[in-house]
Amino acid sequence: MRQEDISEIWFEYEGTPLKWHYPIGLLFDLLASSSALPWNIIVHFKSFPEKDLLHCPSKDAIEAHFMSCVKEADALKHKSQVINEMQKKDHKQLWMGLQNDRFDQFWAINRKLMEYPAEENGFRYIPFRIYQTTTERPFIQKLFRPVAADGQLQTLGDLLREVCPSVMAPEDGERKNQVMIHGIEPMLETPLQWLSEHLSYPDNFLHISIIPQPTD
Amino acid sequence: MPLGLASPRPRSAPSPSLRPRLAAVGEQSALSVNMEEDAFLEEKAFQHYCAEFLKHSQQIGDGWEWKASKDSSDGYLCKTHFQAKATARSLPGASTEEGETWFPMEEALEVPSDDSEVPMTAAATEVVRYEYHVLYSCSHQVPVLYFRASFADGRPLALQDIWDGVHECYQARLRQGPWDTITQQEHPVLGQPFFVLHPCKTTEFMTPVLKNSQKINRNVNYIAAWLSVVGPVVGLTLPLSYAKVPSQDE
Repeated sequence: MRQEDISEIWFEYEGTPLKWHYPIGLLFDLLASSSALPWNIIVHFKSFPEKDLLHCPSKDAIEAHFMSCVKEADALKHKSQVINEMQKKDHKQLWMGLQNDRFDQFWAINRKLMEYPAEENGFRYIPFRIYQTTTERPFIQKLFRPVAADGQLQTLGDLLREVCPSVMAPEDGERKNQVMIHGIEPMLETPLQWLSEHLSYPDNFLHISIIPQPTD
Repeated sequence: MPLGLASPRPRSAPSPSLRPRLAAVGEQSALSVNMEEDAFLEEKAFQHYCAEFLKHSQQIGDGWEWKASKDSSDGYLCKTHFQAKATARSLPGASTEEGETWFPMEEALEVPSDDSEVPMTAAATEVVRYEYHVLYSCSHQVPVLYFRASFADGRPLALQDIWDGVHECYQARLRQGPWDTITQQEHPVLGQPFFVLHPCKTTEFMTPVLKNSQKINRNVNYIAAWLSVVGPVVGLTLPLSYAKVPSQDE
């Protein structure tokens, strides 16, 4: 290819442009979970799909997007108090830890985002997004408290019944869908607070894929 | 410049009873704001303010519409308008080997000696189509302004074009932190790329406005007040008559 013919890079899987601002594990679970690894995708250098994908002009765009997700998650968990109390250098450390794959550097900051006051039983609201390829809406995101009024810890099943009831139906029949996070199906009885602390993505969100049961 | 306020100081978590809310229609006052706390906007109140805002827009023909979500009870306000941008560009036939050339207006008025190269320059106007959406963010509990812009031929404007187009008086603030101010993001209902004015500072600049209006016993429409502040940054203005929009049925 000639240099002048090359424009912004983008990726595609089976006709679907891949959103770079989504975690790659989420994209795989949502679009290709039943396929074998390594995941084969198509790399394009022309005809950027303006209507479908965000532009990624630089690394700054990725950092800005990541930090904006982290801030949104903290707005839900702590009314932004923890993230706002941090200095700019702490935000930078969080991003650099992720960018350079430095687990300890990342978690030195991230652990503060996973704490909650001793008198509470969890975060104020749980940062989550539920994805299904069958809907026009890209994801479902609502306010959901990890602890019920009676003090009981809410579970993954409770969340789905509340915000995405069609997934759970029929209650006693065979489920038509898989509920997947990080490539695994957590038990629906798992407390959401625990999932948020231990199974969130680096942006502090639980990204949950609802996919059809595989037919094999 | 409202977007340039200092970041909030840490506070201890307030107990639920102190948490202020902006009441929806049917309640005594539109605002019940505790002076020490920030004013957050609940979703029902957001929808109510939008309905009042819409009524006024219809009265004055301002073009706002409500788009309801097919699959849930939420929705958003939306408006399209066209803006002409003046540009000076050379017409085809005057290009050099490198491609199109831009001539300053004075040079263009000189009569060239060589007939085979006539640098014709015309002042043209490009029409840009802007589409504005007002959505509710449950995470930040504030409204958020999404927008997209394209030329007449459908070509979308790039982020740099948007940054360049921000009004002069906001350029200083934009340059302090462009990535914290206006970026491209996915529209949460449509899933398409839009530009967004970051909501992080909204509560900070809205709280004094609402507290003040409560002090002088005057109801304010949150959406009209908020949009009159953030809109102009991205080319959206509100006629002054919106200031009189009531925040509940009177």
